[in-house]
Amino acid sequence: MTTAIRTRGLTKYYGGFLAVDGLDLEVHEGDVYGFLGANGSGKTTTVRMLLGLVLATSGTAEVLGRAMPGAAHDVLPEVGAMIEAPAAYPHLSGRANLALFDAMGRGSRRRGRAGRVDDALDRVGLGGVDGRPVRAYSLGMRQRLGLANALIRQPRLLVLDEPTNGLDPQGIRDIRALLLELNAAGTTVFVSSHLLLEIEQMCTRVGVLDRGRLVLQQHLDDLRSPTGRVVLRTRDVADARRLLDHRIDEAVGERIVVRDGDAAALAAELVAAGVRVDELVAERRSLEEIVLAATGAGSDTFARTSPVDAGGAPTGPTGVPA
Amino acid sequence: MIAVELRKLLRSRRTWATILLVDALPTLVGVLLAVTDLGPRPGEGPAFLSAVLTDGTLFPLAALAIVLPLFLPIAVAITAGEAVAGEAAAGTLRYVLVRPVSRLRFLVAKLASVLVFVVLTVLVVAVTAYVLGVLLLGDQSVTTAGTTSVSGSSLSTPELVGRTFLALGYAILCMLGVATIALFLSTCVASPLGAALGTMAVFVGSALLLTLDASDAVRDYLPTRYWLAFVDLFRDPILWRDLQAGVLLQVAYVAVFFAAAWANFATKDVAD
Amino acid sequence: MRPRTVWAMTPRSRWSVVAGVVLAVVAVPLAPRLLPVGDTDVTAAVLLDAVRGSADVGHSGYVETRGAVQLPVGDDLGDVGELLAGTTRLRVWWQDEDAWRVDRLLVAGEKDLVHDGPVTVAYDYEDAKAVVTEDPAIRLPRASDLLPPVLGRAVLEDAADTDVRRLGPRRVAGVDAPGLRYTPPAGRSTVDHVDVWVEPGSGLPLRVEVWDAGADDPAGPDVVSTFDDVEVARPADDRVGFPASRGVEVERADTLDVADAAGRYAPFVLPRRLAGFARRTEGEVAAATFGSGVSRFLAVPLRSREADPLRRQLRAAPGVVTGDYRTVARSGVLTVLLTGADRDPGAAWLVAGTLSPDTLEDVARALLVLPYVDQR
Repeated sequence: MTTAIRTRGLTKYYGGFLAVDGLDLEVHEGDVYGFLGANGSGKTTTVRMLLGLVLATSGTAEVLGRAMPGAAHDVLPEVGAMIEAPAAYPHLSGRANLALFDAMGRGSRRRGRAGRVDDALDRVGLGGVDGRPVRAYSLGMRQRLGLANALIRQPRLLVLDEPTNGLDPQGIRDIRALLLELNAAGTTVFVSSHLLLEIEQMCTRVGVLDRGRLVLQQHLDDLRSPTGRVVLRTRDVADARRLLDHRIDEAVGERIVVRDGDAAALAAELVAAGVRVDELVAERRSLEEIVLAATGAGSDTFARTSPVDAGGAPTGPTGVPA
Repeated sequence: MIAVELRKLLRSRRTWATILLVDALPTLVGVLLAVTDLGPRPGEGPAFLSAVLTDGTLFPLAALAIVLPLFLPIAVAITAGEAVAGEAAAGTLRYVLVRPVSRLRFLVAKLASVLVFVVLTVLVVAVTAYVLGVLLLGDQSVTTAGTTSVSGSSLSTPELVGRTFLALGYAILCMLGVATIALFLSTCVASPLGAALGTMAVFVGSALLLTLDASDAVRDYLPTRYWLAFVDLFRDPILWRDLQAGVLLQVAYVAVFFAAAWANFATKDVAD
Repeated sequence: MRPRTVWAMTPRSRWSVVAGVVLAVVAVPLAPRLLPVGDTDVTAAVLLDAVRGSADVGHSGYVETRGAVQLPVGDDLGDVGELLAGTTRLRVWWQDEDAWRVDRLLVAGEKDLVHDGPVTVAYDYEDAKAVVTEDPAIRLPRASDLLPPVLGRAVLEDAADTDVRRLGPRRVAGVDAPGLRYTPPAGRSTVDHVDVWVEPGSGLPLRVEVWDAGADDPAGPDVVSTFDDVEVARPADDRVGFPASRGVEVERADTLDVADAAGRYAPFVLPRRLAGFARRTEGEVAAATFGSGVSRFLAVPLRSREADPLRRQLRAAPGVVTGDYRTVARSGVLTVLLTGADRDPGAAWLVAGTLSPDTLEDVARALLVLPYVDQR
């Protein structure tokens, strides 16, 4: 399997501020890669470095097997991108905007442009939009237009920064379906987001960024394999506690967490003992828990004292590691 | 890429509003002159304006002399100051660059589109002024006898037309110098207005320095030094010295500031 | 340029490209100045003779004059104040002393003098008017008097061979011009010395500097007149003519300026000599120039309506001395004296020249005792 994105020791200082610190990303072709991190953790800077907008202080980045930003002109035509908010020329219609962006840069062809624009608009659900200027678009429409702009060249790699920002639940579902459909057709999708749920529902692999460092990079399935515990909900709390006694990790109200890898055997045991089971499920950690365990306090909090976190460096008032 | 920039320029309502505003002042002056028949006293007011009352075909030149010192450069500074900083502020810059468009080519296209803007503005001003001049101003009997050159001899109509176009071309080149300064500043600052104001500071400062004897040593390098040399085209014979110096100076300004814009922008972090 | 090379260049190397471009564009106009200037072994005396004989050397070119003589004399004396106080740009076509044209270039116009034998046409673009006058016996200085050849010949008029010496050569308008310094004998002139650079083939002065103090004076020369472009060849006839457009109103005038009018109509006859200076102007005239070379002055009687505004302006000059019978001010090489006081009904004498205030006061005292003569 080839890599779509590979970085080695990618580092960016803005003046004295360390924004990205020795990043080793690895995105395989065919992945839907979720790039997670709190606001200000360096996601956007990383995305910009991958696209050649910001130059790394040190380290290397390869996109689709070619060095960036050196090979930008060969690589970027095969990359569709949405970086932070979508942007368009406000006095033009969405269609005119797409035609304009399509006409820019190398390898732009006039032939078939109208068709490409219509296709892209159809894909994001803006096919029927009228000629009103983008200025009059809602936030969600702009988001869809930005996505259409990323799709217009039928890229091999999609780099999307917060793609569902401003969309209603229906819109979020549409976009998610679209990305999965594209992925099924062979497009690698790299989504950066601070919304855990969004990543959890879509991604095959995740990377977690915390204050410029990659603290986690794994298959989502691996992360979310059963923890070896079972969660039981029952109205016969007293009976259940008596039966399971030493195997109970925690019990709050009707919810009891049991150390036991085999839910089916436990169910049989409970039923045999006459305990009424309302709900019994093998425990899996949520992505939220995983991320919270891996990261410290959000990087937009600047506590006066060093935060109590899992091994994070103490931060000074400016957020620069001491 | 140049074609794309031109489409952006020509489809922007602001472009046309700016051109109309620049055109409004000489139009107003022309109408007032026609209504009141009061020319400026000789030696005062913009070049050629005192001659316009007798010869309306000179009004395009007078209009040029009216807008060249301030209105036109301000319009150019605003348009060119918008080039990079404006796209950055609107967020479109990053989408243009990841298309990908080479940064050098982007700058070239921006400069080309500002050049087209200048040409358009100058032509609109000249054409309006010509129509106005012929319809409202001047004295037909004089006009048919040929126009008087600054040196007192008469200019035939083809001579006048040819020289007027040379003058327009010269003014356009001077404005290209302004545009390049604004383009450079536009790559430096985050706000388009900042780039425009910075450019205005440059040419207003230059115009001020030109009035001081103390700045004698640097005056030949000041950007506005030869702006009004287009008047020399209407002497008989044409006095080329200042025009040549002006052309070289503007070419030097374009080269230096375009190189600086490129040097600054080629590896600049696009972080907004 | 391929994008790859753009990325490959570091910001430092890119900025050094910019610095290189800046250096190149600044250096290109300066480079010719670094070339050595060739000299000839011509002696000062030979050069002086050549200058004196250059009146009919045909030439054309572009001249800039810069004067540091700041005297508030307003418009009453024509363009004199402007000519001496600032930068003047001139174009000249000169066949000989009788046929020439001098265009004074203004930012938005032109004031031209076209001289043909005894007649001069003065054309002003902004007035769209040309005035034709016969050359008078006396007139105020005008633009053509500041041309390097005219000014050079005037100041070297009576220079003795012993008072001139060679200066190093200097490149003027692209010509390697040998230099000449004339230091007048200490006397009553305000001129300390005059430097002239000469076209070696024809003797045509290309650059003239008039100094009111030693050559180490940080203020530099008082008056500089220099060719920036010159062609030593007789210009074509149509260049020295005035083929007026039909849009130009041409009129004929009897008198040229205030000096001409006074010289002809004022009720005085000036003596042959004043304070030891010989009169230059011929005939029985009321206004005249006196002296020679760098020691000369002009004496003109003014009516009170001309004299009063001039006197008020003169009083604003720095270092002005006022008194009952005269107002006198000096700037650089030029001294201006005006007799009388405000609302004095009689004539007032204007005396101006390159002489010390004391000398002009001697002149003024002699003028004030001149009798009235009814010329009509």
